[in-house]
Amino acid sequence: MDSKQVLKTSSTYTPEAIAAIQERAELGRYMIRGYGALRNVPRFDDLVFLTTSLTRLPLEGYREKCTTKTFIGTRHAKRPMELKIPITVAGMSFGALSYNAKVALGRAATLLGTSTTTGDGGMLPAEREASSKLVYQCLPSRYGFNPTDLKKADAIEIVVGQGAKPGGGGLLLGQKVNKVVAGMRTLPEGVDQRSPCRHPDWIGPDDLKIKIEELREATDWEIPIYVKMGATRVKDDVKLAVKAGADAIVLDGMEGGTAATQSIFQEHAGIPTLPALVQAVEALQEIGVYGEVQLIISGGIRSGPDVAKALALGADAVSLGTATLIAMGCNKPVYIEDYHKLGTEPYHCHHCHTGMCPVGITTQDAELMQRLPIDEATTYVANYLQSLVMEVQSLARACGKSDVHNLEREDLVALTLEASAMAKLPLAGTDFIVGQ
Amino acid sequence: MHQTVPQQTLIDCANLTTREINQKLKALASESIPTKLLNPAGRHNLAVGITQIAISIAGPVGYYCGGLSDNINIEVFGDCGWSVGENLMSGNITIHGNASANAAASAHGGKICILGNAGSRAGISLKGATLIVTGNVGYSSAFMMQQGCMIVCGNAGANLADSIYEGTIFVGGEINSLGADAKLEPMSDADWQFLEHELAALNISAKDYNFKKVICAKQLYHFKAKDWANY
Ligand SMILES: Cc1cc2nc3c(=O)[nH]c(=O)nc-3n(C[C@H](O)[C@H](O)[C@H](O)COP(=O)(O)O)c2cc1C
Repeated sequence: MDSKQVLKTSSTYTPEAIAAIQERAELGRYMIRGYGALRNVPRFDDLVFLTTSLTRLPLEGYREKCTTKTFIGTRHAKRPMELKIPITVAGMSFGALSYNAKVALGRAATLLGTSTTTGDGGMLPAEREASSKLVYQCLPSRYGFNPTDLKKADAIEIVVGQGAKPGGGGLLLGQKVNKVVAGMRTLPEGVDQRSPCRHPDWIGPDDLKIKIEELREATDWEIPIYVKMGATRVKDDVKLAVKAGADAIVLDGMEGGTAATQSIFQEHAGIPTLPALVQAVEALQEIGVYGEVQLIISGGIRSGPDVAKALALGADAVSLGTATLIAMGCNKPVYIEDYHKLGTEPYHCHHCHTGMCPVGITTQDAELMQRLPIDEATTYVANYLQSLVMEVQSLARACGKSDVHNLEREDLVALTLEASAMAKLPLAGTDFIVGQ
Repeated sequence: MHQTVPQQTLIDCANLTTREINQKLKALASESIPTKLLNPAGRHNLAVGITQIAISIAGPVGYYCGGLSDNINIEVFGDCGWSVGENLMSGNITIHGNASANAAASAHGGKICILGNAGSRAGISLKGATLIVTGNVGYSSAFMMQQGCMIVCGNAGANLADSIYEGTIFVGGEINSLGADAKLEPMSDADWQFLEHELAALNISAKDYNFKKVICAKQLYHFKAKDWANY
C-alpha cells in the first residue's frame, strides 16, 4: 500500500460503531446477544501477588497440604453447603443451555465436590440427578419454581439481578422455546419469552425479609438462602440483603455472562467485578457480618489467578458461568461453516441467543446438541475446574498459605492506577494507594 | 399448647412462634387432622410449604398464607396480607375478607377465592390456578399471567392483564384499562356455563353480572422492531 494512503480509523466511528448504526437503521431495534461485556474494564489481571521470599516463607509446591474446603450458608441453615473447592457453577437455565450441557455441568461439579445451580428454566430432573449439590434459583419469573423441587434443593438462590443485565429482565428468543422448555415454564411453545425484572410477590427489602422467612419455613430452616445481585449500588444492596436475612450474597459484576440480553446492558450498566467485590467486603465488615454471611463473587472469572485474587480480596467462593461453557467447547474452532452461517467466527461467537450454537451448548436443536457428548463435556469441565484449583493452591502455597482461604489483601498489589483506586491496594513498588 | 377436640385440633397462635405453629401444622398434616388456628393476629407465613391438611384460621393473616403449598384446604375468617396462596400447587384457599396485593401470585394450580376485594397485582404471574375475587381487584392485576383463570365479579383497576401470555380473565364490573397485549373477546355460551359452574359454589349467579372476557392479543409474542407504543 502507498504510504501516503494510510487509512485512518475514526475513534468515534469505529468499524463496530458503524456496523451497529447500520444494523439499527435496517432493523429498527437494539442489539440482543449472549456472552458478557466485550469492553475492557479494570479486572483481576490488573493485580499481582506479592508471593514470598524472606519476609514470608512459601510452602512446598505440589506437596505440602493446602486445603480448599469451603462452607457457604452457615448463618441460619441447619445444613450449610459444604464444598470441597471454593469454585461453584453459576445458574444457567435449561432453555438457554441444552440438556447435555446442563447434565455435564452437574456431573463435573459433582466430581469436584462443588455445587451447580439451576436457572430460569426450573429444575431439570436429570440435572438434579447429576448434581450432588444443587442450588435452586428463585427468580422473578418463577418458571418451574414449585414446592416439590424446592424440597429437593440443597440451597435456594433468590435472584434479584444479574451482572450482565442489572435492572433488566431476561429474554429467551422463541426459537429456543421448544416443547420441553415451554412445558417447564408453562409458556406457549415458540414465543419470545421475557423473564420479568422484578419478583411478582415482593418489592423491597422489608418484603424480601418475609419472603426469606417463607422459604425457610417451607424448607424447615434446613438449607441456606443466597441472594444474588448484579453489581450496581453494591454497598447498600449488600447491607439490605443481609438485613433481609440472606445467608450468603452472590454478587455478579458487569463482565458476567448471559444467554441473551440487550448489548447496551452488558456494556453500559453495572460495575466491574473487581470494585464490586471490594465494596461488598467493606459492606459486610461495616455491619459486622464478614465471615458470618458468605460472599460468592462472579462475572468474568476465568483462571486460577482470578479465583485466588478474589479469595485474597475477601470472597469466600467464586462462581463460573461462561468459562465452564468455554471449557466444554464454546467458541472452539470446529464446525467452522456453521459459525460462518451465523456471520461470525470461532472466538468471536456471541450467538447464545439464536439457539444455533455450532458446538451444541446453547441450543435446543437435537442435532446440534449431539455435538456435545455428555461424557466428553463432563471431562472437559471437570479437568478445567481441577486445573483452576491447582493454580489457586500453587499461588496460595507461594504466599505461604496452607489453606486457600488464608490468602489476604496483603498478598496483592495493583499494576494500574485504576485498579489501585478500585481495589484500594498499593500500586506495585510503591506505598501509594490511589485516592487515599 | 394445643388441645384436641373431637376431629379437630385447636392451635392458639398467641404464644407460639411462626416456626412452632408451622411445625405443629406439618406434624398434623401427616395425620390428616383438620385444624383450627386461633389468634393469628395478622402473622406472616402461616401454613407455608405444607401438604394435605385442612385448616381454618379464625382471624386475619399476614403475607404468604398458604404459600408454596400443595393439596391443602385453608379457610381464613378475616383479611389477608400480600401474596396469599403464592405458588399454590393444588387445593383450595378461601378468604372470608379482603386480600392485599399479589393474591395467588404465580400459583400453579388449585383455587383461591377472595370473598371481598383484592388489592393490586392480583393473579400476578398466574401459572394455572383459578383465582376468584367476588369484589374488585386493583391495578396491574393478572400482570404477566401465563395460564389459568381469574374471575372478578367487581371492577378491575388500570392495566388489567398487562403482558399476559395465556389464560383467561372474566370481569363482571368495569375495567379501568387493559394493559399491553390484552384484548376483549366476546363471551361464548361455554364461558357463561363455566362461570355459572365456578360461581355456583359461592352462591353467586354469573348472570347477575355483565361479564367481559379478556385474553392475550398475542401481538407481543415475538420481539418486533417498530412497535414503539409498547415500549
Ligand atoms: C448461558 C447463560 C445462561 C444464564 N442463565 C442464568 C439464569 O437463568 N439465571 C441467573 O441468575 N443467571 C444466569 N446467567 C448468569 C450466570 O448465573 C452468572 O451470573 C454469570 O454467568 C457469571 O459470569 P461469567 O459468565 O462471566 O462467569 C446465565 C449465564 C449464561 C452464560
